[in-house]
Amino acid sequence: MRKLPPNLLIGAVLVALVAGTAALSLVWTPHDHTLLNIRGKFAAPSELHWLGTDQLGRDVFSQLMVAARNSVAVALISVCLGGVIGVALGLVASAMGGVVEDVIMRIADIGFAFPALLLAIMLAAVFGPSLPVAIIAIAFINIPVFARVTRASANQIWTREYVYAARAAGMGRVSISRDHVLPNIAAPIIVQATIEFAIAILAEAALSYLGLGAQPPAPSWGRMLSEAQTLMYLAPQLAIYPGVCIVTAVLGFSLLGDGLRDITDPRLVRQR
Amino acid sequence: MIEAAALTVDMGAGQAVREASFVIAPGDRIGIVGESGCGKTMLGLALMGMVPDAGHVSGSLMIDGIQMVGAGEVTWQRLRARRVAMIFQEPMAALNPIKRVGETVMEPMMVHLGLGRDAARARALELFREVGIPDPEARLRQFPHEISGGQRQRVLIALALACDPGVLIADEPTTALDANVALRVTQLLVGLAARRTMGLVFISHDLAAVARATERVMVMYGGDIVERGATDEVLAQPRHPYTRGLLSARPSSGNMRATGGRRGRLPTIPGSVPPLAELAPGCRFAGRCPVELKVCNGARPPRQGNMICHRAEEGA
Repeated sequence: MRKLPPNLLIGAVLVALVAGTAALSLVWTPHDHTLLNIRGKFAAPSELHWLGTDQLGRDVFSQLMVAARNSVAVALISVCLGGVIGVALGLVASAMGGVVEDVIMRIADIGFAFPALLLAIMLAAVFGPSLPVAIIAIAFINIPVFARVTRASANQIWTREYVYAARAAGMGRVSISRDHVLPNIAAPIIVQATIEFAIAILAEAALSYLGLGAQPPAPSWGRMLSEAQTLMYLAPQLAIYPGVCIVTAVLGFSLLGDGLRDITDPRLVRQR
Repeated sequence: MIEAAALTVDMGAGQAVREASFVIAPGDRIGIVGESGCGKTMLGLALMGMVPDAGHVSGSLMIDGIQMVGAGEVTWQRLRARRVAMIFQEPMAALNPIKRVGETVMEPMMVHLGLGRDAARARALELFREVGIPDPEARLRQFPHEISGGQRQRVLIALALACDPGVLIADEPTTALDANVALRVTQLLVGLAARRTMGLVFISHDLAAVARATERVMVMYGGDIVERGATDEVLAQPRHPYTRGLLSARPSSGNMRATGGRRGRLPTIPGSVPPLAELAPGCRFAGRCPVELKVCNGARPPRQGNMICHRAEEGA
């Protein structure tokens, strides 16, 4: 067995930490994260409140745990949604070729040029700020990314002799895409999904920071950050904790994605 | 039954196949020979409706009475595998590495003939036996990397036969195999063609294999079918200068002596097949031909009897 690259291992540990915390928050948190205790506000870390309390006396550690769940859920839903649509479009573009491919990819280019933040602000202006709006905005920017990766990888597969053999055996574009192309491009798509996961977590934090994502009382790292901003001189730790969480999650998924690419891309392996 | 008349494949840069006309009847075994880049594979792909997007097919191609030039992908899909099937040169590359070979063979039967899984499996077993794969039950479950090159080529032949095609196009089926295995695969193809009264198009540059596998042969150069005829006649008495060049370039005890003392040197055809865009407008062979006339480079040679050559009248 070849030695696994360190970025893969570190990434996997960080991702496991974040995902594990998110999962644990479903069944257990030290305190109810919404419970107010004005008299106990800005408490220092103690046995009772591991990371202290915030300006309303809520337990910070419990809030961070629930926020982790929120982050992971948003990233998961938006990346899956954008991924499925993007991969489908990429497969169609690659299978049809010609004008259809050009039209799909040029539309993807336009989507690519469109900032997620702008889209989220637009959607929030129309439908009001909410978590589903943030999810749709993040999913939307994922579509062209996956469409591009899929089309590029699929185009390579379409020139393989086994695809010619399948066509010669009378298989149609749909069944070749499903049975031959998709299984052979799974690796780059999974790598891309992992990296997009990191970007989605960052995007969710940014949107929530701006008030376009999670609405109170649902905790979110981004919203905790923005609430702590005004208290920066009074209680800097309230901004540092969610910041560390965001960094951990983003770094974890990025490293995991890099590591997966390293072990699935034979060209990179040989360089080491 | 395939009837091609003035079938042309234009790749934009030039014509990969120029006005090819021929008929393949059930049970016919036809060889196509020529150097790499002469349009052999492109002609095969044209018969399958699988010319790359950049290519434009014109002329006439009737498959079982249906005009296929200008036909859409859906029409072609109905014909492929059932009327015409094709096997490819590189048996490793022609099998999906992450699929069990049984699945690969069963797939077109389920998609195309509407067979259920069990029926398709039974039929795949039957086909594996027909193409001489030992222990077919176990083979069905194996991956391409687990079986040898010769067995892989047999799997691909089984795949091509899955829907009982009327014509089987074999594009260099033996080139990637060692001599012994190549011989057996050739014999298998000949046997299958005879038993099933199936047309066989055998594309190869292995003249010995073509001699064994086919009754008629077409020699291609630069997209033209420059000479054709009964295989044994063409190979015994080649008339076109290109065919002569090809034959004399084969290693044999005779041509070793013919080189006149310089032992170990085989005669060659000087130069190589030019890229499509640089093909001579007249006779494609002009420039490499040992018996070239002034007219050769300008005017297109007439088709006279079985060959296309300016020198045809003189018997070249």
